[in-house]
Amino acid sequence: MFAKMNNVFSLLGDQFSGSEWFPQQASTFAKENDDLFFAITWLCVLFFVPIAGCLFYFALKYKKPKGAKAESNTAHNTPLELAWSILPSFFLVAMFVYGAQSYLNRRTVPDGANEVGLRAQMWNWQLDYGNGVINPELHILVDEPTKLAMRSTDVIHSVFIPAFRAKKDVVPGRYNYMWFEADVASEKVSDETLASAVKENGSDEWDYDKWQFTPDGYKFFDLYCTEYCGKNHSIMQSVVVVHETEDDLNAWIKKVSKRPDDGSVSPAEWGKKLYNQRGCKGCHSLDGSKRVGPSFKESYGNMRQLTNGDSVKADAEYIRNSILEPKKQIVAGYQPVMPSYKGQLSEDDIASITAFLETVSDYGRKVGAEDEGGSTTEEPTEKE
Amino acid sequence: MSTIEASPEVGHDDHGHDHDHDHPAFLAHHFDTPEQQFDSGKLGIWLFLVTEVLFFSGMFCAYAIFRALRPEVFEGCSQFLNTKLGAINTGVLLFSSLTMAWAVRCSQLEQHKGLVGTLAATLSCAMIFLGVKSIEYSHKWGMGLLPAGLFAYDPSNPHPTDHPNYLMYICIPFAIALAGVLLWLVVSAGLGNKMHVAMAMPLTVVCLCFFVGVGLGMVLESGDETAEHIDVHADPNGLASAPVMLEAEKAAAAEAAPAIAASGAMVSVDESVLEILAGDASNTGVTSGLNALEQQNAAAGTSTITGDEAVVGAITTTEIDVMTPTTAGVFFSIYYCMTGIHAIHILAGIGVLVWLLVRAVRLDFNRQYFGPVDYVGLYWHLVDLIWIYLFPLLYLIR
Amino acid sequence: MSAGSLPSDSQVRDPGYPTPSENYLTNSKGILSWVFTLDHKRIGVMYLVGVTLAFAIAGLLALLIRLHLFQPDGFVFKGEEANNWYNQVFTLHGAIMVFLFIIPSVPAALGNFLVPVMLGAKDVAFPRLNLCSFYLWVFGALFFVSALCASGLDTGWTFYTPYSTTTNSSVILATSGAFILGFSSIFTGLNFIVTINTMRPPGMTWFRMPLFLWATYATSIIQVLATPVLGITLLLLIAERTMKIGIFDPEYNGDPVTFQHFFWFYSHPAVYIMILPAFGIISDLISVHSHKRIFGYRFIAYSSIAIALLGFLVWGHHMFTAGMSSLTTIIFSALTFTVSVPSAIKVFNWLATMYKGSISLTTPMCYALSFIFLFTIGGLTGLHLGTLATDMHLHDTYFVVAHFHYVMVGGTLVAFLGGVFHWWPKMFGKMYSEFGGRLSAALVFAGFNLTFLPQFVLGSRGMPRRYATYDPEFAFLHQMSTFGSMLLGFGLLVALIVLVKSLRSGKRAPANPWGGATLEWQCTSPPPFYNFERAPSVGDPYDFSDLEWDAEDERYVKVEPKREIVPEEKPEATPVHADDSN
Repeated sequence: MFAKMNNVFSLLGDQFSGSEWFPQQASTFAKENDDLFFAITWLCVLFFVPIAGCLFYFALKYKKPKGAKAESNTAHNTPLELAWSILPSFFLVAMFVYGAQSYLNRRTVPDGANEVGLRAQMWNWQLDYGNGVINPELHILVDEPTKLAMRSTDVIHSVFIPAFRAKKDVVPGRYNYMWFEADVASEKVSDETLASAVKENGSDEWDYDKWQFTPDGYKFFDLYCTEYCGKNHSIMQSVVVVHETEDDLNAWIKKVSKRPDDGSVSPAEWGKKLYNQRGCKGCHSLDGSKRVGPSFKESYGNMRQLTNGDSVKADAEYIRNSILEPKKQIVAGYQPVMPSYKGQLSEDDIASITAFLETVSDYGRKVGAEDEGGSTTEEPTEKE
Repeated sequence: MSTIEASPEVGHDDHGHDHDHDHPAFLAHHFDTPEQQFDSGKLGIWLFLVTEVLFFSGMFCAYAIFRALRPEVFEGCSQFLNTKLGAINTGVLLFSSLTMAWAVRCSQLEQHKGLVGTLAATLSCAMIFLGVKSIEYSHKWGMGLLPAGLFAYDPSNPHPTDHPNYLMYICIPFAIALAGVLLWLVVSAGLGNKMHVAMAMPLTVVCLCFFVGVGLGMVLESGDETAEHIDVHADPNGLASAPVMLEAEKAAAAEAAPAIAASGAMVSVDESVLEILAGDASNTGVTSGLNALEQQNAAAGTSTITGDEAVVGAITTTEIDVMTPTTAGVFFSIYYCMTGIHAIHILAGIGVLVWLLVRAVRLDFNRQYFGPVDYVGLYWHLVDLIWIYLFPLLYLIR
Repeated sequence: MSAGSLPSDSQVRDPGYPTPSENYLTNSKGILSWVFTLDHKRIGVMYLVGVTLAFAIAGLLALLIRLHLFQPDGFVFKGEEANNWYNQVFTLHGAIMVFLFIIPSVPAALGNFLVPVMLGAKDVAFPRLNLCSFYLWVFGALFFVSALCASGLDTGWTFYTPYSTTTNSSVILATSGAFILGFSSIFTGLNFIVTINTMRPPGMTWFRMPLFLWATYATSIIQVLATPVLGITLLLLIAERTMKIGIFDPEYNGDPVTFQHFFWFYSHPAVYIMILPAFGIISDLISVHSHKRIFGYRFIAYSSIAIALLGFLVWGHHMFTAGMSSLTTIIFSALTFTVSVPSAIKVFNWLATMYKGSISLTTPMCYALSFIFLFTIGGLTGLHLGTLATDMHLHDTYFVVAHFHYVMVGGTLVAFLGGVFHWWPKMFGKMYSEFGGRLSAALVFAGFNLTFLPQFVLGSRGMPRRYATYDPEFAFLHQMSTFGSMLLGFGLLVALIVLVKSLRSGKRAPANPWGGATLEWQCTSPPPFYNFERAPSVGDPYDFSDLEWDAEDERYVKVEPKREIVPEEKPEATPVHADDSN
């Protein structure tokens, strides 16, 4: 039992190095939060140590053989009881007041905060930087307040950025907001490291946990979903990058805004990137397995049986409709849960996604090949 | 305890330990005196009524919340409810409360015939209530005035004819019950079993009363037909007041049509909901969030909106959404939940009243032992009381 | 009675042992005599078996959760549906633990057995209702099992909309189950309130009631007042799923936060349904095993009622981050702090009771000490969560998970075990191995701390709850926690073995093995089916002065000064009048 006690105290002792207890302090809230946390913790220790001490001391000191009488049989001591009822209340009031003040600070958005739109859906984040630029990563400016205007298209989610000590639920049917001011800028890794990582990662989806920096070479802070939202709740994560200068931020926004005009990225590649970044991946597999939505494998060009009994060919028009009006044509066996992407994907984006879907379907590949050959055939590869 | 002559001192005590040989039959073995038993039962039933009140309070809260959020929807939709039928039902239930109170008194005074009569009267009132209610329900189902998810009301065709005969389905179980009771009456009369005849006779009347209620409801509903037509004509206005008000509220936003279109496109739920939510003070951040969103979308709109088609489509869907299921349906959701659960309580009340009736015929109750009548009476008054609240809240307040 | 420790100039009062025809366990035979029993003690025993079974299932699910979290990518479930499996497992763990185990554990299992006996009554006020509530419990449990067999349940035990209205899993079955369990809970609470109000024998005034009864009374108030709201909430949720009534589902203009308000209006008071009876058990345990009058009886009794009432005002603290207005949030924070005061009072009073007592470190006492230690940690960490600013960081992280496990496992479960060990001799008439019992207490204590202390750190470092997979930097603490859970599971298994073994080979228990002064120790172990032949003489429940240890028979007995018998000859000498002497 005493070994356990030591364990307790050694863990408490770790408080001296805050890093054991908290992630890096990266926002203006962080220090305030941590100080308050430790103040409360020390107060708790102040109460807990005497309580636990008395507990074990009394248990040993007054241990008596069976049948021995108690030394005292005091029934009550009203002043004492009143004292230990009322005195701790002062500490409680102090905690409440500090906590509430700090909370009000966090609710009051300073004027001129930069606004970023946030849309949560199962199971990804879509950060809206205006002008149709939507990306799963949150990029903000250092030392400037940022406000997130948040909404959800399906169920309740919650934005949590541990490094900023900030959290807020994203409730469908409501607009919630949160704000924070980052005071530590993200470092950038060297170009060689980035280049080798990009090379090694290849065309797969970027592995943030493995590299610990973004595909653009920034170190990042974690952004989690903390309100249970279904199957892939635990991978509904994103990253926060804090830019040093506005130019840097704008350069990044420009970079991710659309497929480069110079043709360096093919539509299919861009489509794959969108597939990974914009939430398709959460519900549509590429290997034929059934998730929330139908798999993309072998979907392009094949017939789809709908819930209303019709069947329709999954051609470019169908795919476009399914992206813009997803609840109109539902494949049999699935729920109408996909949110509309109207206004969020440009025509080029949709074309890119269609091009990507062609690459994961035999039919699409064949048609693609035959198109090059100059002939078109209506290959009936229907499967019911 | 020597005053109890009627109760035979049976060795009811199945545990067989030899204490308190003066236990009358109705006194459970673990109570010492009839008073203790009565007090326990009384406290128990009061606590049960407290839980019932809290059970309904959840729905009253829902009513308050949604009424505060969308007063115009509640005003418009409550015009669909037939005040006459509601008033008749209120009267019927109030009268049944009187007969129930009378029944308690009869049981205390050992007026056995009076007890059976008043219980039967109470039951008959309950049945009339349900009969009228079934007219109300079937009429509304036929019109498609259903909870949000099933709402199918079409103002241009308020009385569609291609729906199943809901009234018949509701009547079937009651008809079966009536047939059963009649059979019971005939068989027991044939066998000359007086006690069973005494039970089945009032129950036959009770079952018939359901159809009296149905007839009453039909007369009132059809007599109301002309008024109904005016009502229906007024209804779209009443309902339309919702979109009109909303439209006015967002007049500024409506000027910038592309912005609406863009947000209409993005907000799959619907724009109007957010507008309403934005009016709710407790929903912090909505207003600024909405503005922010509209600005973003206005900016985004230039690059993504493809043609006029989308603009028109988005606007019309917004209007239709306000008119039908999502908003108007909520009123009927709450209406059906509240009155439906109340009707279930009436049904449960009918069940225990029938049990009382049977026991009353068996002369189970006496001066010392009338607890069950008293407890059921309290329950019945509560069910009435809840209706007394439901009637103005749903039917009258406009 | 010539035992050395007993004063020779006094006479001993002890009920002795029951005959098989009196013993409530054996007075009637056959399975039907149990199925249709109206005896509160048998119903209590059936509840005990039931909740133990539910606990075993939910406990195994908990071990599965911990095992899965042994590795960042998941250790147990693999493949495409891994996360789905994990979600179902944690949901069922929570739902079964809350609805089938913790809520009925102390009030229904121990309460049913103890309330009438402690009160000096023959039975609860409504024995049929009592049996009915047990079968409702069984029925509700069957619904949960069928949900499990159908398509599982993956909403979390809180059934938050709109996820619960859109998911494909069997939400309706599970919510119907919870609805039925709610009625079971209401009926139990109603029964106890009426019993305590109207069935007290002469002399049993409110302030002569054992504190366990006060706690049960307060718990029953919550059960009666809060559970109906859960009932209507779940009913509306079912309607929402079947008919889309648009009250909670934003797709039809409903408001998910309204659901949270409705849900927590019940479920926060439900937390006190779980912990208040535990307080009652500990108050009795500490006093009996310290053989000293409970310190500050009235403060403890009133604080139970205060907790029950204040518990209704704090539900909002589950929604600090959900987007309530600032004012509402701050008010709920302030109210939350007020609840901590009565809890603190109790801890201080227990310590004061031990001070200068005569403590026997028996198994129940070990569990009671462990309770005070663990509950204090659980309560104190609640302060971090009640403080708004820090809650913004800690909400929905493992800090919360650790906090409520300290309260519910470290609190309720440990107290429940303590209570079971304390009243086991009374319930079954058998003594268990003291060594085994104390060993289990130590193992549970160590295993529990190893499981949940690391989770506080995980939470403050930012690990969100309900995650099937996690970032590698959290791996070490998760592994510690997993090892701890194995130890905890082992400790609980030891406890079970010790108890079951005692049934087969335990020594026959005396009427009063611990020296308790409450009424249940005045009848035989196990009690006769009628509890008390005549209304017992009600004394002070915490007056231990006339209880003496009888070393020869290993029991405590009540001693009284020898009565002066006026006629010199002994009554036995005149067999003609033997029946009159009684």
